Amino acid sequence: MSQEKIDILQRALKREKAARKAAEKILEDKSKELYVLSEELKVSNAKLEASVNEKSSQLEGVFKNINDAYVVIDITGNVIKMNNVAIDFFGYDIAQENFNIVRLIYFKDAEYAFTSFKTLLKEGAFANYTARIITKQKEIKWVQINASLIYDENEKPIAAQGIVRDITALKNLENQKEKILKELEKSNNELYEYAHIVSHDLKSPLRSIDALISWIKMDNEGKLDEPTLQNLTLIEGTLETMEKLISNILEYSSAGSEINETKYVYLDQIMDDVSRLLFVPEHISIKVLKKLPVVKGDSTKFQQLFQNLVSNAIKFNNKDQGIIEIDFVEEPSFYQFSVSDNGIGIEKKFHDRIFKIFHSLNKSKESTGIGLSIVKKIVDLYEGTIWLESEPGEGTTFFFTIKK
Amino acid sequence: MKNSLNVLLIEDNMIEIMKMNRTVSLLKAKHEITEAKNAEEALAILETKQNLPDIILLDLNMPKINGIEFLSILKNDPDLRHIPTVILTTSDNRKDILECYRIGISGYILKPLKYEEYVSKIEIALSYWSINELKSA
Repeated sequence: MSQEKIDILQRALKREKAARKAAEKILEDKSKELYVLSEELKVSNAKLEASVNEKSSQLEGVFKNINDAYVVIDITGNVIKMNNVAIDFFGYDIAQENFNIVRLIYFKDAEYAFTSFKTLLKEGAFANYTARIITKQKEIKWVQINASLIYDENEKPIAAQGIVRDITALKNLENQKEKILKELEKSNNELYEYAHIVSHDLKSPLRSIDALISWIKMDNEGKLDEPTLQNLTLIEGTLETMEKLISNILEYSSAGSEINETKYVYLDQIMDDVSRLLFVPEHISIKVLKKLPVVKGDSTKFQQLFQNLVSNAIKFNNKDQGIIEIDFVEEPSFYQFSVSDNGIGIEKKFHDRIFKIFHSLNKSKESTGIGLSIVKKIVDLYEGTIWLESEPGEGTTFFFTIKK
Repeated sequence: MKNSLNVLLIEDNMIEIMKMNRTVSLLKAKHEITEAKNAEEALAILETKQNLPDIILLDLNMPKINGIEFLSILKNDPDLRHIPTVILTTSDNRKDILECYRIGISGYILKPLKYEEYVSKIEIALSYWSINELKSA
């Protein structure tokens, strides 16, 4: 081999060596890099794992600690997971026995249960399913259930989870309330009927006395002296008072209970009716200062209310020009009405007493002492209050509120 | 035109019966009043189906069979249901009034306190029925 050739070969070998060295270096570097990466990956994997564990234990905590029963069922209704509340509540424990949710269904609500389950499968969830269940101890409980489906990665439903709230106590209270309301309505109606019967039984003898007196007068025409005739007239007057008293008591006893249904009441119209029904003497004028509002309630009650206040204002007016004014102001949750007059006025010390039944301040044939107690009862019925401002000799203003 | 009526008065109160008799005796038309002190007595009279009254005046407040029950019995009997029945009562209970009209009545008269008013109400009612063409003879 010539020297030249050897040289070439040696140079080539050298180059190759260098290249290999470079390649080795690159390899080493790359390996190092990979190692670092893999180490990093390990760390982040560990972190990820930790965080997954953390999340599951958080979920586990929620699952264990919620106050409501929580169950997971497979698509056929077998319970595959349940918390302690569920175990206590239902009486079944999947650690001990197989437990299918169907066993909880109370026969009266079976149809509702199955249609709700269909809804769950179709819609993926249902909310506020409210029905009775029967526990292992054969107790009937009212529950409210919110449930949703759980899907696998192919969007296929594989299970369902539900939160079951025990609302038995609430439901019992509701039922109790309904029962009490019904009883109250019944006893109110009975009272109303009773008041009617009593009032007519009481009126019947009065009519008889009146007839008998008429006959005495007729049969003895010209034979009775003046004082006797006068006494007979007094008896007739007393009978009238008595009859009015009975009518008013009947009115009072039915004033506090809602007999008719609630409707819109046009108070303007009511006031028109009141002015027409009452005898308003020439010298007295009734002014409604602005258009009265429309309220909800029983129109007869509102008529009684205004009629009693206005008739008092007419009755107890001693001025040459009697003025009665009706006005109101609107507040966010109620209306405040006022009925004012320039009549005889009421002394401060009587302000509380006048609303009590049979506390008429003026003994006369017309006042039975019931009118204002009817007014008070009606205002109470509409959750309002009533009070008055008065200056003896100057006039009186009655204020009352009616809840909107 | 028929001037005098055959009236069946169903009323348990003695003075109310006296009031009716006295009122009718004051009128020109000679109405015939048959008294029944309660629903049973009235049914016994009506069951004969003889000399059926032209009109019935019926009180609501009666012991045992009350006026509304009597009215139901009457209106369920094909031979008696045609007889115009006017309620004569003290009850202005809306429930009673509606129930009576539902079963079928020809009038509802409230007994007033004043005797004079009573006389005028009865006079008007009887004279109204006496100008009517009635079924029975």
